[in-house]
Amino acid sequence: MSRTFLFRYETVLALLTVLALATLAMLSAKFFTTENLLNQGRLMSEVGLIMLAMTFVIVTGGIDLSVGSILGMTAILLGVFWQKVGMPLPAAIVAAMLCGTLAGLGNGLIITRFKVPPLIATLATLALYRGLAEGISQARSVRGYPEWFFFFGQGEVLGVPVQLWILVICTVIAAVILARTPFGRATYAIGANETAAHFSGIRVDATKLWIYTAAGFLASLAAVIFVSRVTTTRSDMGTGIELDVITGVVLGGTSIFGGKGTIIGTVIGLVLIQALKNGLALSGVKGDGTIVVIGVVLIGAVLAGALLDRDRGGS
Amino acid sequence: MNRLTLTIALGFGLMAGPAMAASGWTGGDDLPTSPLACDGTPAAAAAKPYDGGSPTNAPNRAGKKITVVDIPKLIGIGYFNATSKGIADAAKELGNVDAKTDGPTKANIDEQITFIDNYITSGVDGILFAANDPVAIAPVLKKALSKGINVVGYDANSSPDARQWFVNQAQFNGIAKSLIDNMAKEIGEDGSFAIVTSTFTTPNQARWIAEMAAYQAKCHPKMKWLETVEAQEDNTLSFNQATTLINKYGDQLKGIFGMTSVATPASAEAVTQTKKCGSIAVVGLATPNAMKPYVKSGCVKSVVLWNPVDLGYAAAHVLRAVVDGTLKPGATSVKAGKLGDLQVINGSEILLGAPTTFSKDNINNFDF
Repeated sequence: MSRTFLFRYETVLALLTVLALATLAMLSAKFFTTENLLNQGRLMSEVGLIMLAMTFVIVTGGIDLSVGSILGMTAILLGVFWQKVGMPLPAAIVAAMLCGTLAGLGNGLIITRFKVPPLIATLATLALYRGLAEGISQARSVRGYPEWFFFFGQGEVLGVPVQLWILVICTVIAAVILARTPFGRATYAIGANETAAHFSGIRVDATKLWIYTAAGFLASLAAVIFVSRVTTTRSDMGTGIELDVITGVVLGGTSIFGGKGTIIGTVIGLVLIQALKNGLALSGVKGDGTIVVIGVVLIGAVLAGALLDRDRGGS
Repeated sequence: MNRLTLTIALGFGLMAGPAMAASGWTGGDDLPTSPLACDGTPAAAAAKPYDGGSPTNAPNRAGKKITVVDIPKLIGIGYFNATSKGIADAAKELGNVDAKTDGPTKANIDEQITFIDNYITSGVDGILFAANDPVAIAPVLKKALSKGINVVGYDANSSPDARQWFVNQAQFNGIAKSLIDNMAKEIGEDGSFAIVTSTFTTPNQARWIAEMAAYQAKCHPKMKWLETVEAQEDNTLSFNQATTLINKYGDQLKGIFGMTSVATPASAEAVTQTKKCGSIAVVGLATPNAMKPYVKSGCVKSVVLWNPVDLGYAAAHVLRAVVDGTLKPGATSVKAGKLGDLQVINGSEILLGAPTTFSKDNINNFDF
């Protein structure tokens, strides 16, 4: 038991993260301050929220490349519903998030009903949703939101950024669902062997539908927070965020082939990447250097994971 | 008969004028425009009170060595390498400025905000920036001001109250006039043209396009605008977009505007490769070095730009002047080293000067 615990990928990654945090704290006195850490929590929330859903998606052996486009589309719809259609802002938020969630459901339907591989399906909707965002917005940004709306992206509750609370709550819910419920076990079963899962009576398609819909929901939640943080809406919001999300999830130990992965691993992956980006910048490393370090860490972590697997004779 | 033709022409002209002004072109912004006079009479500068922000509790750093970080829209392209060189030149000349350039590798609002946020935490004395989005960047710049950091923009502005001063490379209506006049000269008063821009929401390009639309409606009302396409300041994408335009509109397309230093050479390359040199004109903003081959081959006749090295140089001098207290709200000019006195316009902007048109005759005198 203790040996398996010690050699679990998440444990190794957590140690690596602690090591990185300690090193970065030594490199820059500004890094390990409450203010900076809370600020980093603010900056990583949007990516973090989508990573939670992406963990489920990748555990089933799928992928969702359209999350960045869903984020952009939701952001634009929020602005358009409010300013052009004239809805009250709270109604516009709900309506936009509903559309974002439906966009996720759309992914799920294409994947389950037409048996399109998730990579292809979401590659198509990546373009589709981004195109809709640009078309609907007529490429104009929407600005001038009322002050209260900035609460989600810039406000604090008990000294902690609002979106960090949201992220923590969502993380706990996601962790419980994945580790402790029949739904979570179904998710693993689908990723490990979809055919076997099907013949064991697991409702494979329904499970996948829920997961892709949840990805749409969390991407639109991230969109609302993003708009509130930067006080404006643009159709190019969230471009490329899917790569940050997938990087974090894979670094967190979720197997791209499905069947393996945990929320705690994802959270560690998120924290490690954010800490590296921020800590290296604070200790004077330039942006291009930081990307190189993150690439090296990712390769190192994936290799370590593969070695651990081999030592245990696969899993 | 003649009178009839004249009446019809006049009727169309009268209808087309307001229609163009009302519809606007895709890619422009919604802000009011102020087209210059067709014959180039300079507009009277309206006096406007200082509308920039100010840092809270900034320590007195006058004459002391300061650490400055320059965060352009993106790094690794010729244009921002040139502004960065200008900043480094000024820092070296001033001797008491420690400047470095850092930023995202793609023009991305979120990444740029994160970079600025990190530099605020690391405790710099001054920030120079070129905004990817004027409103999105405002909260983080206001945070910098609230921490006593001096903030000066160049190239692409933020909301005025989020920074202290902005070094304006050229007034939008001046650039717009220069571009449209050059295009009209090359394709004639009734030619059709298309635009390759960065993204529809990039502040500078959106402003230029809006001003171009207004100036064209006022001074060259018969020219026809076909389409504006986005190309993200990406080389390959710009080339593809320009090629698509050429194929899509065929003989109808007489000219292409390149709105970025990436789009213009890429459009010129597209025209060259489709062997349309001479039948499709390319006019645009670009650095002379990137355009030399096309200007030499005669495919491109006019390239419009300010000197980006001077722009960076001026921005660094302005920041130093703000820190030293020699540039205060209400000032009408500021000394910028070898550039001499620069004029203050629009309340809190500093004008670099009139844009330069590079042609076959003078392009070899410039190296950036």
